[in-house]
Order: sequence, then C-alpha cells, then structure tokens
Amino acid sequence: MSNATVGAVYDHIINEVINSVRVDFEENGVDDGVLEALKKGWQQKLSQLNVAQFPWDPKPDPPSAQSAPASAAPPSAVQAQQQAATYTQSTLSPQTSAQPLSHPGNPHANGNGIAIKQEPLGPKEPVIKQEPALAYNNANAARGGMAAQRAAQALESQYGPRAAASINAIQSGLVSQIGSAAPQGARPGQPQQPMNAQNVQQQQYRQNMQQRHQQQMQQHQLHNTNGLPTSQMDGPSDGFEGVLMQRGPDGKPVEMGRVDIDNMMHAQMMARAKQMEGGGLMLPLKEATRHRGVASKRDSASGPSQVDGPDDDFKEERDSPDADAINSDLDDDDDKDDDENDEDASAHMMLCMYDKVQRVKNKWKCTLKDGVLTVNNREYVFHKATGEYEW
Amino acid sequence: MATNSTNFYDLYRHGSLGVTLTDALDDLISAERIDPQLAIKVLGQFDRIVAESLQEKVKARLTFKGSLDTYRFCDEVWTFLIKNVTFKMDNGASTVVADKVKIVSCSAKRTDEK
Repeated sequence: MSNATVGAVYDHIINEVINSVRVDFEENGVDDGVLEALKKGWQQKLSQLNVAQFPWDPKPDPPSAQSAPASAAPPSAVQAQQQAATYTQSTLSPQTSAQPLSHPGNPHANGNGIAIKQEPLGPKEPVIKQEPALAYNNANAARGGMAAQRAAQALESQYGPRAAASINAIQSGLVSQIGSAAPQGARPGQPQQPMNAQNVQQQQYRQNMQQRHQQQMQQHQLHNTNGLPTSQMDGPSDGFEGVLMQRGPDGKPVEMGRVDIDNMMHAQMMARAKQMEGGGLMLPLKEATRHRGVASKRDSASGPSQVDGPDDDFKEERDSPDADAINSDLDDDDDKDDDENDEDASAHMMLCMYDKVQRVKNKWKCTLKDGVLTVNNREYVFHKATGEYEW
Repeated sequence: MATNSTNFYDLYRHGSLGVTLTDALDDLISAERIDPQLAIKVLGQFDRIVAESLQEKVKARLTFKGSLDTYRFCDEVWTFLIKNVTFKMDNGASTVVADKVKIVSCSAKRTDEK
C-alpha cells in the first residue's frame, strides 16, 4: 500500500530540499548548523503529525538521545546564568547580600532559590541609585520655589492686587517645577527635608489660590463658552478636596474635584473634535438633520451645547451599520458555509494535478496524478488516481 | 497558483510536508537565525522537488468513488468536495473510507509546458 512508501518519499524530498538550498544558505552567510536545525525541526514536526512511518522514526534512539540533552541543556544554562547573576549581585552591593538573611526559610538553596528571591531586588536597585539625584532635584525645586515666592511677595507688597498676573506667572512656573518633582518624590525612603519645603510651598500656593480663582471667575464670565482655564492647576494639588472653583447656577462658587474637571475637559475635547469635523457637516444627511433636532431639543432643556457631542457620536456608530448595509445575500451565511466546509475538509485533503476532468450529465470522471492524500490521519502518495463520482 | 519564478505550483505547501516545513522555517525566522528571503527560496525549492519526486519516485495507483458535493473550476484549478468516498489502493489490499474529502487539483499540463 502506498502509505509504506510515504516515509521514503518524504525523506527523499527533505534531503533533496536541504541539499538544494545549501548553496543559498552559504550565499547568505548562514551557518550549516542552521540548515541542520531546519532539517531536524522539519522532521520532528512531521513525526508529530504521525501521518506515516518515517525512516527517521523507526530508529528512535539517536533522535531522542539528541533531543533529550537539547531539552535539558537550556535549563542548566539558565541556572548557571542565574547563579552568576546572584554572585555578581551579592558581591557588588551590600544591600543585596544582606537580603538572603531576611529569608531564612531555606538556607541551603544555592541556585534557583536565591535567584528567585533576589529578583525582586532588581527594580529596587535603580531607586537606591537614584536617591541622591532625587534629593538634589527636590532641593533644587525647593530653592527655586523659595526664590519665586520671595519675588512674588515683593511684587505683591509693592503693587498690591495689580501684580496678580505676574505673581500668577511666577507661581505657575513654580507649580510646574513641583509637578515635575512630585512623581519622583512619591518613592519611599525619600529624605524628609524636600517634603517640608514642598509643604511650605503648598501653603503659599493655597493662599494664592484665592486670588487666582477670582481672576479665573472673571475670565470665565467673559468668555463662558470657551471655558476650562489654567490647566496647570491640577499638578501638585492631589491633597486638596476641590481643585477648581466654579460659579454654580445660583451664583455661589462650587468646588470642583478632579473627576469633575476631567469630565469637563472630556466634554470640551469632544466639542472641539466635533468642531474640527465641520460641526457635523460631513455627516450623512439623515444623521445631520437628526443631530440638529436633538441638539436644539437639548439646548432648550439644559444649557451647554457640547454635552450632546459624545452622545451623537455613539448614535452615529450604532446606526450606521444598518444604514450602510447593502443587505445582500453575498454578505452573510454563504461565507460561513464555505469556512465550515474548508475546516472540515482540511483533515481529509488531496493535493494533486489533474490530467482530465470529464462529465457526462451528473457523472464525473477524473484522472489525477502526482498527488498527496491525507485521510483519517494517514498520508498517501500516488502517481495516478482515477475518480468516479456522481453529483 | 503557479509561482512565476520557478514555474511550479505552491500547491503542495498546503500538505503536511509543506506545512511542517513552513513551521520549521517560521521558527528559524522568529529566532532570527535566517532571513525571510531565504525561507522563500527554500519554499521555492520545495515546490520543485515535491513535484519532481512525486513524478519520479511514486508508482502507486489509486481509484476512488463517492458522491460529488461541490465542484469548482477557477483559474485552472479544480476543487472538488466529495462525500462518502472510498479509496482503493492499487494492490486492492486496503480500502480507506472517508465521509468528506476535499480535492485541490492544478492542471498537469502547465508544469509539462515549462
């Protein structure tokens, strides 16, 4: 039966292919070992499919003996690397050498155990290294902040409220400085001193807040539609309850938290995005008219027009598939059938050349040659095949 | 279906031999041990050698019967989906039965003309 010849034929093909590409490999400067690896990988994968008895399978000793060390070798190499890593780490830095003492669980652990335990130290090391620079940064920021505050105070005493703008400018510079320093300051083991300096600044900052709010209120009233002033305010003020003051509907100032501000900004951005797209001019006519209707309704209901931005976008997305769909039979179901057939048949497949395909009414006759057939997980090769089937 | 450079079909790449070769090449490429270009060359050689080997090395014959479910002829490629197939090997010793077989077949003439 032709299944017996499959192994020989495939072996022949593999050897032929490997030999014929050897020149190409050499031309590309690829090592001969890679070619051998390709052959081994190819044969191994074929054996895994278990579609036939292969000549390299019956004598399983050499392949398995070769594959066993191959699979065993990587872990040992990794272990050696890990050990090397632990040695260098422990010898280089005193902190890490002290670390194993705090884990007295298995004092005999030599390779893996220690390596695993020490892994958490990896990310810590940079922190330790960074610390001086970090303190320096903070000190710098503090020093700069002191100077800025002194300047602001001088301005205020000289010019009073008229200098509010320039004080704000100084303060904003200070704020951004603190903002850049703050994320680093969140690390543990940070010196206490910069923290104090920051606190002082924050108190100053709190005092100045009131002034700035008044200014913002004025701005806000002037051009209410284009709102969202002073984005720099949300930098360092995590400690505050409300970050921004907004005049409520009854005229009283209302504190806004970070979430409120985020929402506000989001609404603004959506409105801007909407504007960029031509305010809905590029929408399909149907959408555009509906949008206008909804917008006018909303406007009359609840003031700010940008609120309806995101809503309409969602609606657009939801509606458009239905509106654009051709609803053709070609769109659906057929594909699914085909896929199903293909998947089912992929287990049983014949790849070949045809000499003749004849049909008389519903009776077909084919003459095929040079084929590979995979049926029931077995593989067959044939030189010639004739098939007769009815449709 | 024919690869222009070598004038052989890459049809057999979809068989187990071709799929495993592609897998092995993929492994080498993702390990950055060979160039994708080189892998394409290997597959080109594979197309040629499979076709030649099947012509020269294989003598087995095969007959099969079944009911044709789907037929398709596109770009000189016949695709049949046959149900309830019975394969008979030439020595008559064994028959193989399958509920469904897909046959993909390229024209034999084109390779002869090359």
